[in-house]
Amino acid sequence: MNGVGVAGIGLVTAWGEGLAALPGDARRAAAGRRVIAMPRLEIAGDRFRRATRECLMGVAAVEAMLRRTRLDRAALAGDGTALVYVTAAAYGAANREFVAPSTPIGALHFPYTAPSAVAAEVAIEFGLRGGYVILVGGAVTTVDALWQGGRAVARGECERALVLAVESFAECEELYARARFRVPTPLVEAAACALLVPGEGELVVEPPVASRGRGPSPLETRARRRAGETFACAPLIALALAGESEARGVLTAEWRGRRAALAIRG
Amino acid sequence: MCGARPLHAEVVAIVAAGAVTPIGADLDAFWSGLVTGADGISAIERFPVADLRVGRGGEIKKLPHPRRPGRLPACRASRLLLGAADDLCARALLDVDPARLGVVVGTALGGVEELEHALGGDRTPRRAAATLYDSPGRALARYLGADGPVITVSTACASGATAIGVGADLLLDDRADLVVAGGYDVLCRFVMRGFDALRSLTRDCVRPFDRRRSGLLLGEGAGLVLLARDAAWRGPRLGRLLGHASTSDGSHIAAPDPTGRGLETAVTRALRAAGLPPASVDFVSAHGTGTPLNDRIESGVLRRVLGARAEAIPVNSIKGPMGHTMGAAAALEAVMCLLASRHSLIPPTLGYEEADPECGLDYVPAVPRPARARVSLSTSLGFGGCNAALVLEGAAA
Repeated sequence: MNGVGVAGIGLVTAWGEGLAALPGDARRAAAGRRVIAMPRLEIAGDRFRRATRECLMGVAAVEAMLRRTRLDRAALAGDGTALVYVTAAAYGAANREFVAPSTPIGALHFPYTAPSAVAAEVAIEFGLRGGYVILVGGAVTTVDALWQGGRAVARGECERALVLAVESFAECEELYARARFRVPTPLVEAAACALLVPGEGELVVEPPVASRGRGPSPLETRARRRAGETFACAPLIALALAGESEARGVLTAEWRGRRAALAIRG
Repeated sequence: MCGARPLHAEVVAIVAAGAVTPIGADLDAFWSGLVTGADGISAIERFPVADLRVGRGGEIKKLPHPRRPGRLPACRASRLLLGAADDLCARALLDVDPARLGVVVGTALGGVEELEHALGGDRTPRRAAATLYDSPGRALARYLGADGPVITVSTACASGATAIGVGADLLLDDRADLVVAGGYDVLCRFVMRGFDALRSLTRDCVRPFDRRRSGLLLGEGAGLVLLARDAAWRGPRLGRLLGHASTSDGSHIAAPDPTGRGLETAVTRALRAAGLPPASVDFVSAHGTGTPLNDRIESGVLRRVLGARAEAIPVNSIKGPMGHTMGAAAALEAVMCLLASRHSLIPPTLGYEEADPECGLDYVPAVPRPARARVSLSTSLGFGGCNAALVLEGAAA
């Protein structure tokens, strides 16, 4: 994937917006809490009345990226922007509420139970009508999402690709604990995105590389230490950290026993 | 993903397929059911539906038992996938380094039925872990011994088509040598309640493109194809994937864009990726849910994209006999296209009887139509403005 750069990264986590909000040591900052939850964000617009908080997190991450890159939202609109969305769990809360409602729910709750709901709200909000892929999985899947987005840019199939990840945990904390996922805590709710463009940006992503037998790279370890466990958001946080420190090398990712890696050129 | 550049030499071979459907528990039975007018719609028996307006659907009454030894998955979605995989593996060998075997499956619902069980009293760790939507895809990868990329796609009811496209991309980027790709979904109370609340389900039969159409019925199933790089594949093949594209409407959370703009972009890009003009299309497998809005929008898009020949190209929808199998639908429809080419026979659009002037294309009614259908176009739409299109070339028998 020659000629693919990262024009900007947007990040909102339960710690706050951007890398600056991340603690030095997430585990210590969590002080024993298993989940660090993000409150429902306030975003203007009657359209968001029914939207889940995960949808708002996705919109907020893109807005954070636009602020950081000083891009106008019109720059994203149209069929030239591809959207690749990934999540491991950001549909769990809406699903749980649908199965066992805590308050009366309307007919339009059902469409929001789909993983595609977050991508849909982001696409509607920013007028994205280009290539569209929604992947379900954790950090390894985000490496696949970066590959999909980067591939589309490199081949000239789109003008830019927005790779977005959102994760929420609070409503399903007990369920995940019961599942005995072997993941470090705290689970930290987050939304992150990277805008991939042709040419050289802050970083250059290269295709996934073989990761058999590979342990976590320094970037993966650093992202986890700073942010906590953020499932699909982790590689995007690591990309942001790499940009901050002009790091290069390999970004690794792990999800449910599988590993993947992405080469980064500074 | 977007398919804006011609693939040409980057064609992907579709080596074989496997299926589990309400009208047949394997590929042969599926095809036979399609052309003989089998009806897979029945009263739902597996979970309570008495409180719903509609309690019928394409429920599979008996799942095939996995042929390989090992613990039987409790998850019905995984059972469907394993059944389709067994059918596929009976038709083609997965003779490849496990690290070069990829799995890409599409689903609208993942293992959501497991959530119903997990919240309904089954407190085992296994149930809780299975609530994640990528669990059935992972179960399939384990079953096949696949150690390459394992990806779950969830573009709602377009998932099966998007998954096949992503699988092709894995091959074209040399991330795998063989890819098992397709889609699945389970008919469960969760989804029946959802569509019932939206009043999308019909009390009549499903009537795609018919003047009296009044909604859809849901079904369940799984469809898988084995993909390989065409230039490298030496064995027989079912057909080829010539082009694919997936796009977003950016319009509404549940309803399709009334202009059909997103679907039109997907179809145009898929044809461009295939390097083919619209006039090359011999047959269209439409999404054709039988809802008033979908069928009108889809027909309008086909009319615009296919141009002057639009009314001369046969169109079908196979949702009548099986219901809408959601994540499986596009994969099963892609397989149907290839089988239609092989048998020179286009399965009928069951339920289509009275023409609707607002649709106005050549929908294949009641009985199968003999036709040479080498190049086919398969279209899919899903909640959240998901659109996908596949351009397929069938191999003659």
